[in-house]
Amino acid sequence: MSVISVKNVEKNFKVYFDKGQSLKERLLFKNRNHYEIRKVLKGISFEVDKGEALGLIGENGSGKSTLLKLMTKIMYPDKGNINIKGRVSSLIELGAGFHPDMSGKENIYTNASIFGLTKKEIDRRLNDIISFSELEEFIDNPVRTYSSGMYMRLAFSVAINVDADVLLIDEILAVGDASFQSKCFDKLREIKKNGTTIVIVSHSLGQIEQICDKSIWIDQGVIREVGKPREVHPIYMEFMGEKRHQVIESSKKIESKNNDQIIEEQAEDTNEGNTPLEITSINRWGNKDIEINEVKICDNLGNEKYVYRTGDLMDIIIKYKMNNETVNPVIGIGIFRNDGIHCYGTNTSTDSIDNVTLKEEGSIRFSISKNNLLEGEYLLDVAIHTKEGFAYDYLKDVKSFRVYSVQSDIGVTRLDHEWDIN
Amino acid sequence: MQILKELYDYRQMIYSLVRKDLRGRYKGSVLGFLWTFINPLLQLVIYTIVFSIILRAGIDKFYLYLFVALVPWIFFQTSITGGSASIHSQQDLIKKIYFPREVIPISYVTSCFVNMLFSFVIIFIVVAFSGVHIKLLGLLCLPIIMFVEYILALGFAMIASAVTVYFRDLEHILGIVTMAWMYLTPIMYPIEMVPENLRKIFMLNPMTPIITAYRDILYYGTISHINTLLNGFLLGVVTLVIGFAVFGKLKRHFAEEL
Repeated sequence: MSVISVKNVEKNFKVYFDKGQSLKERLLFKNRNHYEIRKVLKGISFEVDKGEALGLIGENGSGKSTLLKLMTKIMYPDKGNINIKGRVSSLIELGAGFHPDMSGKENIYTNASIFGLTKKEIDRRLNDIISFSELEEFIDNPVRTYSSGMYMRLAFSVAINVDADVLLIDEILAVGDASFQSKCFDKLREIKKNGTTIVIVSHSLGQIEQICDKSIWIDQGVIREVGKPREVHPIYMEFMGEKRHQVIESSKKIESKNNDQIIEEQAEDTNEGNTPLEITSINRWGNKDIEINEVKICDNLGNEKYVYRTGDLMDIIIKYKMNNETVNPVIGIGIFRNDGIHCYGTNTSTDSIDNVTLKEEGSIRFSISKNNLLEGEYLLDVAIHTKEGFAYDYLKDVKSFRVYSVQSDIGVTRLDHEWDIN
Repeated sequence: MQILKELYDYRQMIYSLVRKDLRGRYKGSVLGFLWTFINPLLQLVIYTIVFSIILRAGIDKFYLYLFVALVPWIFFQTSITGGSASIHSQQDLIKKIYFPREVIPISYVTSCFVNMLFSFVIIFIVVAFSGVHIKLLGLLCLPIIMFVEYILALGFAMIASAVTVYFRDLEHILGIVTMAWMYLTPIMYPIEMVPENLRKIFMLNPMTPIITAYRDILYYGTISHINTLLNGFLLGVVTLVIGFAVFGKLKRHFAEEL
């Protein structure tokens, strides 16, 4: 039985270039009222069953938050219809109507009343709300004396104790400290088990995978993919990674265009197959006796990819060209997180591969069978240098890649482990 | 009809908004809630001085004559002018949370209404001292008149608040309109002063029967004519129905317009 049914929903926004607010402005500057109609949602349909949890994912501006607002009836669709059975509670804005001078308890009453609860219903829930918020000692103090964490805890406790049939959540599970967050998740699971239908909008795919049975990826106002979170998310991540990769590449191109002369650029264009890397001198040094022509990161199928899940296979491929004869070069890689932490680095010499002989032209594969790096953005350095460390060609931050994880372990890397509890 | 049921479910929200408004009104002032009583009392003192010493109107106990009409009028006027900004001033709530939007003008008008009731405490005291004998039946009529005025004010406030979202000038226009309206309602003068041939038009003004009824009871110590009451009641209901209809139509785009 479906609790939420969304049928062919379309929503347009008028985007005014220069909107006249008052009568004078509207009359005098009639031509100012130009607006453009932007289609935010272009025919969305889906259903959610009772007790099911749905995750909505998508880029900023894809329309997912608008969809959520339509579902709460803050806005109404231009076309199509949305049907929701039962009481809807939304965790879009926490602490609505909080009054700083009133006590925590009084604010519980105000806030819960905005969700449509009567005094009796609030009385019945009061103890649950207070104990969930862990604010027993402060509940009679005015809310302005609360820290922001306490404030959010109180607000969340009210919203989650409304006992709605449908709970709509927009990107708010980032409240409180880690222990309160996990408590919120437990609570969400509990109310889901009790039959509440949940819809979550979030950028944290991990959170969605923890709770949701289904994910919908919305892209530019239409549904791109529907399915199990673990099936939809990799496709989405890949798409996003590809997109980011393109952005980085094009910005690099612009940068190099600014540096180089136009003539060189033309030469470059005609010489597509064997282009030297477009890297500024700050990020590259060495005498170029051996030159690195190309670096790419590939997945297990050999496809170039820059988004990985923790534990995936990841290959780094380095193409080189020998300009001058060299003996025993050392090949190395380094991986840095985007905040500068050196996560891993090795080279052929450290790995006791002593007699490296390179051909005139060729490629090197550095295969990581299990990339255990945890969620984050990483940068890759590659280098070929002499045994003494003198660089033939050193490329810093040559590629960036993203790792995401569905587990919430923290740190830099996942250590292979087992638990043995007696 | 469905909206009425929903509003009933949200009664606690109306209650908390009214409470918040009343408590917040004189927040930070030394006398605090006492201002609710001091305000009308001081007004009365001013009228007494002005109209019994300087501007003698030739009406017995003119200060009372004016006061029993002015207090209900002020409720009506603030309901409309303040009510027109009510949706706009709660935009944070409206853009983020669902609740029946009617709650906002209803609670605003209700809090003005409660304020008027407090002023009535002063009125009763003054009436008792002035020697007017109020009939028991008249006293029983009073809540009916208040109710009629309430629904009338609510109807206008709903239209004003919804339209102001789309057209912000209305807030300022209403300031002038209500002022003119006050002079077109027999508050400072008896209806008998209006030329005979215009009196029919004056009775179309929904506030005329209401003010007349208040004065009948509290000043003349009589009972309002049933016709006066019926006239006011009908105008009130019609206004309220139109108010709900207009509001219901305009509320769908509040979140986008704000």
